[in-house]
Amino acid sequence: MAVTRRDFTDICWRACTLPGFAAWLNAQPANYEPKFFDPEDFAALESFTEILIPTDDSPGAREARCAQFIDFLLDASEQDPNAQAAWRKTMSSLRDLGYHAASPQERGRLVEQMAQQDDPAFRMIKQLNTFAFYTSRPGQIETLDYRGNSYNATFPACTHPEHKVL
Amino acid sequence: MNEKFDVIVVGSGACGGWASMELAQAGMKVLMLEAGAHISAAEQFHHRRLYDLEFRGRGRPGLLRRYTGSERNYRIMLDTVENPYTTSPDTSYRWSRSRCLGGRTLHWARAADRMADYEFKAASRDGYGMDWPVTYADMKPYYDRVESFIGVSGEVLGLPQFPDGPFLPPMPLNCAETIFTAAAKALGWRSTHRRLAQLTQVHHGRPPCHYCGNCVNGCDVGAMFSTISSTLPPALKTGNLMLRTDSVAARVRVNGENRAQGVTYIERYSMKSVDVDARFVILAASTLENTRLLLLSEKGGLANSSGLLGHYMIDQIAGGGVSGILPKLKGGPARLDDGKSAGITIPNFQNIDKATERKDFIRGYVMNATGGQTEYPEYAASLPGYGSEWKKEVKSRYVAQARVWIAGGEMLARKENFVELDPEVKDHWGIPVVKIHFSHSDNDRKLMADFQNRAEEWFRKAGGEIAPAMRRGGPAGFPGGPGSPDENFFGGAAKASGGTPVLGGAIHEVGTARMSASSKDGVLDSYCRTHDIPNLYVFGGNAFPSTGDKHPTLTMMALAARGCDHLMENAKGRLS
Repeated sequence: MAVTRRDFTDICWRACTLPGFAAWLNAQPANYEPKFFDPEDFAALESFTEILIPTDDSPGAREARCAQFIDFLLDASEQDPNAQAAWRKTMSSLRDLGYHAASPQERGRLVEQMAQQDDPAFRMIKQLNTFAFYTSRPGQIETLDYRGNSYNATFPACTHPEHKVL
Repeated sequence: MNEKFDVIVVGSGACGGWASMELAQAGMKVLMLEAGAHISAAEQFHHRRLYDLEFRGRGRPGLLRRYTGSERNYRIMLDTVENPYTTSPDTSYRWSRSRCLGGRTLHWARAADRMADYEFKAASRDGYGMDWPVTYADMKPYYDRVESFIGVSGEVLGLPQFPDGPFLPPMPLNCAETIFTAAAKALGWRSTHRRLAQLTQVHHGRPPCHYCGNCVNGCDVGAMFSTISSTLPPALKTGNLMLRTDSVAARVRVNGENRAQGVTYIERYSMKSVDVDARFVILAASTLENTRLLLLSEKGGLANSSGLLGHYMIDQIAGGGVSGILPKLKGGPARLDDGKSAGITIPNFQNIDKATERKDFIRGYVMNATGGQTEYPEYAASLPGYGSEWKKEVKSRYVAQARVWIAGGEMLARKENFVELDPEVKDHWGIPVVKIHFSHSDNDRKLMADFQNRAEEWFRKAGGEIAPAMRRGGPAGFPGGPGSPDENFFGGAAKASGGTPVLGGAIHEVGTARMSASSKDGVLDSYCRTHDIPNLYVFGGNAFPSTGDKHPTLTMMALAARGCDHLMENAKGRLS
């Protein structure tokens, strides 16, 4: 049986809906060229975000492309020079800590150390990374399973007798 | 020769829309002037996830500071560069406005509660301020009329301080609301579904709510009451309504017979000044805009023989509250918890009679609660840790979120809270803007403190874990954080430079042209007609001598309906 162009299109669409395929597609390098950060800072930021929100049994910062969103947002923040300056300072402090040159294991230890010390750079990256992740489709839908902002025939009432008593 | 109408209605919000509909249906030729843009729900209101938006809902950093609103809804809000206002040095007041067809009805919280005689006659009970010149019996037919048309879902309670209406069936309670209901019962407090102008069944051809939870961004199907979904279509259907958007009212013109001759407006883009005439003028441009127009129309203020125009500005008390989690719900399955954007409410149960009288403050407040999943987990960034365990904890708490907030905390009316015209600052069209002088009284602060204690008591009774107060906007370096130009928009600036909390969060500003039995005590009569100018009506919150503890919109609309009846009698020459 000859495969028609219609068949081929249909196969492609079906493949796209397979969870494994979608994960593979998401994990591919996007050839993203950072606009705000220099490439070294961006690579460091990318790895930092992926340590904070790793890919495990649900998507992480990698699939949500959190570092790209942070870069995009700061590039668009030309009217918010304080934010841009604070981020340059943050990346500079990461560099000073040796994060950029560290191995993956050493980076993990550095992040842990910064978390323990409640390091301002840690807090800043965590804050925006959290926003970037949970406002993305991988974070909001695939991880949290958010149900709102959709058409629903009924509102699901609580059906738990145990909730009616303290 | 100026164009002439029977009635000019300035503004297209809840009251302007209502008046235009009723008067056009009665056969009057009506001109509605709206300062902002035309809005079409079908074209402009869509369900969009945060990741569908370029800046995930927050807008381009630095851009949205000129608008009040988010990336989703700033088009139905207001351009603050075109429309500035000022405050006195010791005032920190955020005036949230809309300038577009439908005004704030496009994104309002939909709470539709009736006021009661315990509010209309509060001064007689506790001796503070002035009674309203209307009773609940006067208002009831108009509440009935408005509610029957707009559709309010709710539950009949039989509480005199929380009068019932012809309700549509209430929306079901989610898990958190069910737990809070049990907790309220255990404390001896009566709770109920919030009464909302949000349909639960087909009503006058409008479809029921589809539980998207997207109300504040404009309802795409018209299941919540708004001018453009509810009052404007039947008004336009009469053929008696002429609608002019992008028409900025500048003043009311008065003739030599002490009657309103008409309105002068400025075309928003051409800047051309246009005079239109009418037998009657209704100002329904929102509370402070109405007062601004009266102040602009005559030196010292039009219809200001009492000298009280601009005074007794009131708002309801906002802020505080409790948020955290209900551990009982932790780790549960995802549910559509925020799809109705509603909650439960506890009507005021203090200071309603001698038995419930408080010694430390007068008047009262209403408490609301809800919980469950939300669009964005605000708590996540402040949750300690990182990595997979942190992710699991974020998800586990996601469906267990809970909060209690104040609704309708009554603020006392005081003459020293007022608006005037700023002597220097003008808007985009060269029209002087309002300057706001506003602060809380000791009674307001005591009432707020009592709410905070009760809110915590309710939350703990429900088994809740209270979270530390969270900042929105994040740390320095986050767009919207301290030092950022977007700080105000993101709510990062919780305090003004003097350490005063930013007021105005309730968006329930009323007063400034209060109604009174005597022309010496107020600007409007009990029909919202000015005491001084017999064919000039002011619909909105202006008339309120006190705020009560209910959301004000339904009462504004009932007053407008009552005023329309009066105007029609007036037009027939049946009034003295």
